[in-house]
Amino acid sequence: MTTAHQADPYAQVTAVADEGGAPPDTGGSVAELEELFGEANDPRNPVGHRAVLAADERHTTPSEAERLLDRYGLNAEFVPAELGGRLTHLEHLMEVARAVYRRDPALGLGYGAGTFMAAANVWTAGRPEQRAELARAVLDGGKVACAYHELAHGNDLSRAELTAYPAPNERPTLLLNGRKEVVANLQRAARTVLFARTSPDGGPRGHSQLLVDPERLPAHTVEDLGRFHTAGMRGVRLGGVSFADTPVPPESVLGSEGRGVETALRSFQLTRIAVPGMTVGLLDTALRTAVRCAEERQLYGGAVTALPLSRSVLSEAFADLLLADAFTAVAARTVHTAPRQAGPYACAVKYLVPSVLMRAVKDLSALLSSQFYLREGPHALFQKLLRDVLPSSFGHASRASCQVGMAPHLPAMAHRAWGKPDQAPLSEATFQRDAPTPPLDFGALSLTPGARDPLVRSLVCLGEELPASGRSEERRVADAVRQHLAALQELAARSAELPPRELGPNAGASTFALTARWAGLLAASACANSWWRDPARCPTDAGDPVWVLAALHRLGAHLGHHRDRLPPDLAEPLFRELTRRVEKGETLDLGRRPTRT
Amino acid sequence: MTVADPARGSSLVAEVEAAVKASAAAGDGSAFDPARLLELDRQERFPDLECALLDRCGAPRAYLPPEWGGATGGLPETVEVLRAVARHDVTVAVAHGKTFLGTAPIWVAGSHGQREWAAREVLGSTAFSWGLTEPDRGSDLLSGRLTAGSDPAGWRLDGAKWPVNNATRGRVCTVLARTDPAGGPRGFGLFVVDKSTLSHGSWRCLPKQPTHGVRGADISGIAFEGAVVGDDALVGRPGSGVETVLSALQLTRTVCTALTLGAAGQALRLGLGFAAERQLYGTTLLRLPQARHLLGAAASSLLLAEAASAVAARCAHALPGEMSVVSSVVKAGVPDWGQDAIDTVAELLGVRGFLVGHPAYGAFEKLERDHRVAAVFDGTTAVNRNALINQFPTLARRFADRRCARDGLRVAADPAAPLPDLDHRELRLISRDGCSLVQALPDALSELATRATSGGEHGRVPDRVVHLAELLEGEARRLLSHVAALSPTPREVPTEAFELARRYEVCFAAAAAVHLWLAEPRPERRGPLWDEALWLEATLDQALSRLNPTAQRESQHLDCADRLVTALERHGPDRWTSPFSSPHRTASAAPAAAGTGDPR
Repeated sequence: MTTAHQADPYAQVTAVADEGGAPPDTGGSVAELEELFGEANDPRNPVGHRAVLAADERHTTPSEAERLLDRYGLNAEFVPAELGGRLTHLEHLMEVARAVYRRDPALGLGYGAGTFMAAANVWTAGRPEQRAELARAVLDGGKVACAYHELAHGNDLSRAELTAYPAPNERPTLLLNGRKEVVANLQRAARTVLFARTSPDGGPRGHSQLLVDPERLPAHTVEDLGRFHTAGMRGVRLGGVSFADTPVPPESVLGSEGRGVETALRSFQLTRIAVPGMTVGLLDTALRTAVRCAEERQLYGGAVTALPLSRSVLSEAFADLLLADAFTAVAARTVHTAPRQAGPYACAVKYLVPSVLMRAVKDLSALLSSQFYLREGPHALFQKLLRDVLPSSFGHASRASCQVGMAPHLPAMAHRAWGKPDQAPLSEATFQRDAPTPPLDFGALSLTPGARDPLVRSLVCLGEELPASGRSEERRVADAVRQHLAALQELAARSAELPPRELGPNAGASTFALTARWAGLLAASACANSWWRDPARCPTDAGDPVWVLAALHRLGAHLGHHRDRLPPDLAEPLFRELTRRVEKGETLDLGRRPTRT
Repeated sequence: MTVADPARGSSLVAEVEAAVKASAAAGDGSAFDPARLLELDRQERFPDLECALLDRCGAPRAYLPPEWGGATGGLPETVEVLRAVARHDVTVAVAHGKTFLGTAPIWVAGSHGQREWAAREVLGSTAFSWGLTEPDRGSDLLSGRLTAGSDPAGWRLDGAKWPVNNATRGRVCTVLARTDPAGGPRGFGLFVVDKSTLSHGSWRCLPKQPTHGVRGADISGIAFEGAVVGDDALVGRPGSGVETVLSALQLTRTVCTALTLGAAGQALRLGLGFAAERQLYGTTLLRLPQARHLLGAAASSLLLAEAASAVAARCAHALPGEMSVVSSVVKAGVPDWGQDAIDTVAELLGVRGFLVGHPAYGAFEKLERDHRVAAVFDGTTAVNRNALINQFPTLARRFADRRCARDGLRVAADPAAPLPDLDHRELRLISRDGCSLVQALPDALSELATRATSGGEHGRVPDRVVHLAELLEGEARRLLSHVAALSPTPREVPTEAFELARRYEVCFAAAAAVHLWLAEPRPERRGPLWDEALWLEATLDQALSRLNPTAQRESQHLDCADRLVTALERHGPDRWTSPFSSPHRTASAAPAAAGTGDPR
């Protein structure tokens, strides 16, 4: 690995780290952060639950928390190692930021994820001097605003109206006109990545990103639209801005002009995986809160956890968390091992995982009964998390837009990938957390995954590899895998016949349903292979496959294959493992790291 | 049963609707001005102007039986009035509707004098509250520690109720208190406590509790310390409090569905409006099949809730002995389906559904928070499912017997049929007859099959609807066989039982829809939602996907949602009104019945 501060900031990102290697010591980083945050339940802790809640009421995040993260240097996690930062493995970044989400999701998004979303554009498409400039700004502690959103157009990038056209009769200058709204940290960012129309003709080459320093914009041309207040994530400073003939130098354009949509689609492959992976931390805290509430509350003469229904609800949320963790972790590692496929994989993650997390939090709210409705008292944190989880499904990319990103690839996958025995599965290392991987290569991110789907191939191969005899638990996993694989046959048959008009946003709802099934198969593969290649990740007193059986069961429920509850022989051991972890202070994901949340 | 002319229905719903709408449209900080409602929420201020407006336009009449000066439509009208309020603002409905909850026990078990007094107070706009919950004891009624000891002057109250809606603002609080130190089902009494009659220092209000939603509502508490009330404060007998509460809850739980119908209806209107105006990918959101699919799913979830609520409220009059089942079913199911509808619209609205104070869509994030109280209010979903599970053996047996109270059922399921008065004495803690609506489902589905396109002149249904009905019958039979097979476990209710309860709720709603359809003599005249039995198809389709998501063919499922949205587009400017509007009228609506005293 390169030592951070000696790296040549102008080096090509792809050229430097030509050897990958083992991920950095994620456990160490998470432990350090947890230590800095301290005991969450200590009422005097300035970054404890009480402070987080109080800050939420004031529409902010605990001020001490930002100072702690400055001290920790969280920003360095967002900067590639060759530019002086610590970013070498997407999974590492995800898990470190997840620790922040565990403490306060608004802090995670407002301090962390927002900057990474913007910066990923620059690492992917920026010229060397732009990358170096941004690396310096971020390593200095600056925030970067990711200014894509216009209220009138939402996720439809091609309609973005902010323009950056050459000024008439002047030395080369671009003039900004238009507005950006509901953008995190817009008012305090050291740099802003603006998504703007640069060609009046529009079309696929009509937009570009601009990297601008807000301080250099003439104040009289920029109107601050004030803060946008939201139901959840209230501590995130969402701002708006309106430009009127605001001059920026033409070299602000990221990379070469007209690549805006392409750059967005490539760089957001990273963030569409990482942000849902970070948000697993939100469910971690919600579930922990629910366990504590259920253990304390008395109902009908016993603790709420004495009721089988309560244990089921908690175990199901736990299995949801493990499912979300396994899928995001494997997807993050495929960015290293199969970067060309990251486009549809990222869409599948962003489509599926947030809805899994949202539903889990919603189901837990029923368990808390009226407690979840109170903004004061020992479990008041829950109602905050219930609000904070809401934007995970539409923020950054809606479920529908992710499905639109998957649909065009269905026919090729059906014809030339899924059923081809010569198509290799993913390397075993993809499913093993601490195994070395190839480096993170921004240049390898692609809009054309080709007719290759190694993650689904891994599921097919696993189906063949899993013994039909042997340990009964293994047979049970094999059955579950084969059930999911049965869906592949029909998916392939129907995908193969999709006409071109069914591959865009105008597609019928049945095509959208196919993308959902594909996402389900990818998630099933991630879970099953994670267990098979790394069986000791989540032991329970009833054996190691309990978690994967539960995760696959829950996946079936999320995909609408069934509406059954988790059977007791899975729910009960998971419940015991869950309460053991809450008591011992371990995270609830597959990483099982110490936590003070 | 008295036959009244349904065409001469009550006008209270229309009056309340008109008054609220006019005031909302006046803007500029008048009651129900949308901007004002958002601001009240932000400042966590009580909607005082709104409640005053409701008082002025006679809304309290919706909380009284007709023979005591109440509106003529009975419980269905109570639901309709509160729904009309909730579609503008759930918080106001919660704040004002609480009087219905606080007085319900008086109609169940109060003396003639108490009823007379309560009617006068309600018509005079006195706010009532209902104190059941105590700190740290949740929904468990028998764990209450507030005591009522005998006192020379009557009873002496000690202890606290919290959190209680309207505890501070309500002048009267109906309180469940332990009359026997040992407690138990016969150890509690119910007391109507008029705070203005208590001696100074014997009571105090507990501070308003900040909440997730309904932030403007007065969710506070009340503590008594040697508060003395007279014997006339006791409702019923000293040991009958729990029974009275459980009977009254059968009515209030049914009325709670109004919150969901209002909130989810408002959500759907916002969603349809947004989809129609949102430009993207060279068209509008409303033209994209996937968006239509989501809107259709939200609408059919709401239809399920509408059908269940409409019939449940009528059951209180027509099948009062079955209300222990019916009220639990709708109190658990309706908020669930409504929340799903709201969540689906949220997905469509994206950031607009998340912004606070947005002039056009700010109402959404508020209703989303507000509505979540519906699943908690008056007994949580789990508590209601538990109540239903307790009656499983009877429900299974009666289904197998195909027993049902035909006359009552016919009235319950026909919005045009005159309703008998609500006879509170007929409410039972356990339904001997099970649930006629569900027990008659196989027969109703057979009758529906005779209306297949080849059938009679009126009320024809397409074959695809008959096909859905067949699938549904299979699911219902399977469900009831599972219910029958569930061995009663007194101590630990298995998770599976809760899942069966959830499915039973869906069957109830589907049965309600089928019966409502069969009761309509000329469906073809009633507009786009009725054409080709569209709403029925959508409701059955939604029910099926909640019973067994793989039962229905995907293509038909998707096509149905699309046609439903097409019908909603043609449905009119408001785009969502219940297809089952009923002319509100009960037997006592006969002229001059009001105020003539207790007919019993």
